[in-house]
Amino acid sequence: MNDLPEQKETNLSFEKIKKDILRPMQNHKGLELWIAFLLTVLSVCAWAYYVQLRDGLGVTGMRDYVSWGLYIANFVFFVAVSLVGMLISSILGLLRIDWITPISRIAEIIAVAFVAVAGLVIVMDMGRPDRVINVMIHGRFQSPILWDVTVITTYLTISLLLLILPMIPDLAICKKELKKTSPILKKVYNILSFGYINTPSQHKHLHKMIRTLMILIVPVGLAIHTVTSWLFASTLRNGWDTTILGPYFVAGAFVAGAAALIVGMYFFRVNYKLQDYITDLHFDKMGKLMVAVCLVYLYFNLNEFLVPGYKMKTGDDIHLKELFTGHWAIMFWSSQLLGNIIPIILLVTKKFRKPLPIMIISLFILAGAWVKRYVIVIPTLLHPHLPIQNVPENFVNYSPSAIEISVTVFSFALALLIITVLAKIFPVVPICETADNKGIKYKIEA
Amino acid sequence: MKNTIKIIASLFLLFVFTASVAKGQDWNVPASAKNKQNPYEASTKNISSGKKIYNINCKSCHGDAGMGNMLPLQPVAPSDLGSQAFLIQGDGEIYYKINKGQGAMPTFEKTLSDEDKWMVITYLRSFDKNKKESKQVAEVVNPEVSDVNLVLDINNEEKKINANLSGVTEKGDRVALQGIELSIKVKRSFGYLDISGDDAYTNEKGNVTIQFPADLPGDREGHVNLLVKVTDDAYYGEVSVDRISSIGLPTDPVNPLDERAMWGTRANAPIWIILSYVGGVISIWGVIFLVLFQLIQLPKMAKNKE
Repeated sequence: MNDLPEQKETNLSFEKIKKDILRPMQNHKGLELWIAFLLTVLSVCAWAYYVQLRDGLGVTGMRDYVSWGLYIANFVFFVAVSLVGMLISSILGLLRIDWITPISRIAEIIAVAFVAVAGLVIVMDMGRPDRVINVMIHGRFQSPILWDVTVITTYLTISLLLLILPMIPDLAICKKELKKTSPILKKVYNILSFGYINTPSQHKHLHKMIRTLMILIVPVGLAIHTVTSWLFASTLRNGWDTTILGPYFVAGAFVAGAAALIVGMYFFRVNYKLQDYITDLHFDKMGKLMVAVCLVYLYFNLNEFLVPGYKMKTGDDIHLKELFTGHWAIMFWSSQLLGNIIPIILLVTKKFRKPLPIMIISLFILAGAWVKRYVIVIPTLLHPHLPIQNVPENFVNYSPSAIEISVTVFSFALALLIITVLAKIFPVVPICETADNKGIKYKIEA
Repeated sequence: MKNTIKIIASLFLLFVFTASVAKGQDWNVPASAKNKQNPYEASTKNISSGKKIYNINCKSCHGDAGMGNMLPLQPVAPSDLGSQAFLIQGDGEIYYKINKGQGAMPTFEKTLSDEDKWMVITYLRSFDKNKKESKQVAEVVNPEVSDVNLVLDINNEEKKINANLSGVTEKGDRVALQGIELSIKVKRSFGYLDISGDDAYTNEKGNVTIQFPADLPGDREGHVNLLVKVTDDAYYGEVSVDRISSIGLPTDPVNPLDERAMWGTRANAPIWIILSYVGGVISIWGVIFLVLFQLIQLPKMAKNKE
């Protein structure tokens, strides 16, 4: 504090961090175009949802056999990706792994967007969404559905808090620096900065709250995916009736979430010109993390398919043969190979952990993760224990209708829009934490 | 124009139908199938159960065995299965035909069990005049009667049901009807349970007496719905009598929805699961609200600087 030249130097660095991170929020050409594009897609697909609302779920490909179709596969996928918030900012954060600092906010933004849309996907899967509140009023404690609704709401709340709380110092900077922004945003910054001026007591108080939430989100994050797996595992259906489905889903969620984060990191790094903050080192570390979670997931896959495949119980045999060599073989094997095994092999080498290659590999992992959910949900439903006699052809062959695909596009576009808007109004890389990490001292003026 | 279409359509239908029925004529039974033997003996019990199966599955087309009252289908009517012309073939041949079907004759390969099929053959064989050793179904040697009456007498202590079948002759006398099979049934949740036993044919006094099973449950007072009828309507039309009697085992039915269980309603959820849910929600949301409360205090801390 008393050494003047050092103070000057650090001040300059903090100014640079501030400038670099706040710049994309003030002027970013092309962003309007991207938002306009998303809004167009959303409005077109909203019409598809309107048709579904008007004419009922008959417009989808879902019938008596496959009553959980594309929508539930999407739901499981969205829930899976949202788990990245817990993985990065909570588990790694609690372990005091400091390279996650610049990417933790992107992880939280992805978590908030995806879990919010996951909740919405369930509502969009309902023929009568006006009755959604009945789940709360009349829900049975024995049903995983009540637990799922509860745990998703809770996870969304904690994720939002874990997005906002660590951002309070940055928002205090935004309040002061972003003079030309809209009055509404100024008000948002004013409220959400909670009068923070980085006094030692405020700093201590804030970090205590954040730590509490980081611990709290671990059981809730595990619960959100375990309960989602119980929606399946608490039935007797072949392929779902397994005890490892809970940890299997959690492991799969880490893979999907990490992949989504790498893709997000890449796009923010390139578009927001954040090469100095989201560095090659971060991609390298994320690549190693990806190999670790993929290996865990591979281990669970081995258990999930090898053990029943060895026994080939009646009922299981039809399901497994359909997956291994039958109708679903292409989807099943491509998700296993492109979404898990090949990425592990590639990411072991350092050159594939460079930003562009790892981003492309992550896109494959994400696509594989989505296909995997589709293959978990639908094939099981096609083989009921008590088949219907003289069942109509369209009951035993599910394919999503154009309406369903449009509504699916809607949910993906909505998640992207939420991420875009959050990244536009909030700094995507923590300013103060980055400075803290680099040992740069700073002051936040009131 | 319209008529032409109609004529063509009817000709077409006629052709299809004729072809399918005509095909039924030339049975092609493989030699291996012909050699098959009926593994069941021609006991009264087997003949009787074969008759029941026959009445349900075969009678609607073939009519009563030996009576020639089959459905008059064109161009070929179904055979009288009790006629000597039919019974000249071996058991294996009949068995094959029941299994495969042809033309208008449906296949029973999957709809009847092997035992059922052999029972039907046993029953049909009882009409065979060439088979001396086979027992004939109890011959009806009753006079022509009218006003057939079925009377039930139930002994509650010994749980015995006695049914008496009688009719009035032309002379005006009420006589017992002998050798008629009766069905004694108890109503259960899904349909009737047959408790007739092996030998429910009326004796020379027109009586059938059966022992009601001691372990058959009734309602709270032991009430059961009994139905006694002449098995074959062909003799005297439909003759039956039903009665509610308290010879069942009194039982207190338990509604599985009344207990606390995983399958119960929300009000009947197991205590531990309610506690886990409510406890989880309260503790997690308690911490969330605690954090929110601490958050509100943050602005105040700006004032008391150092």
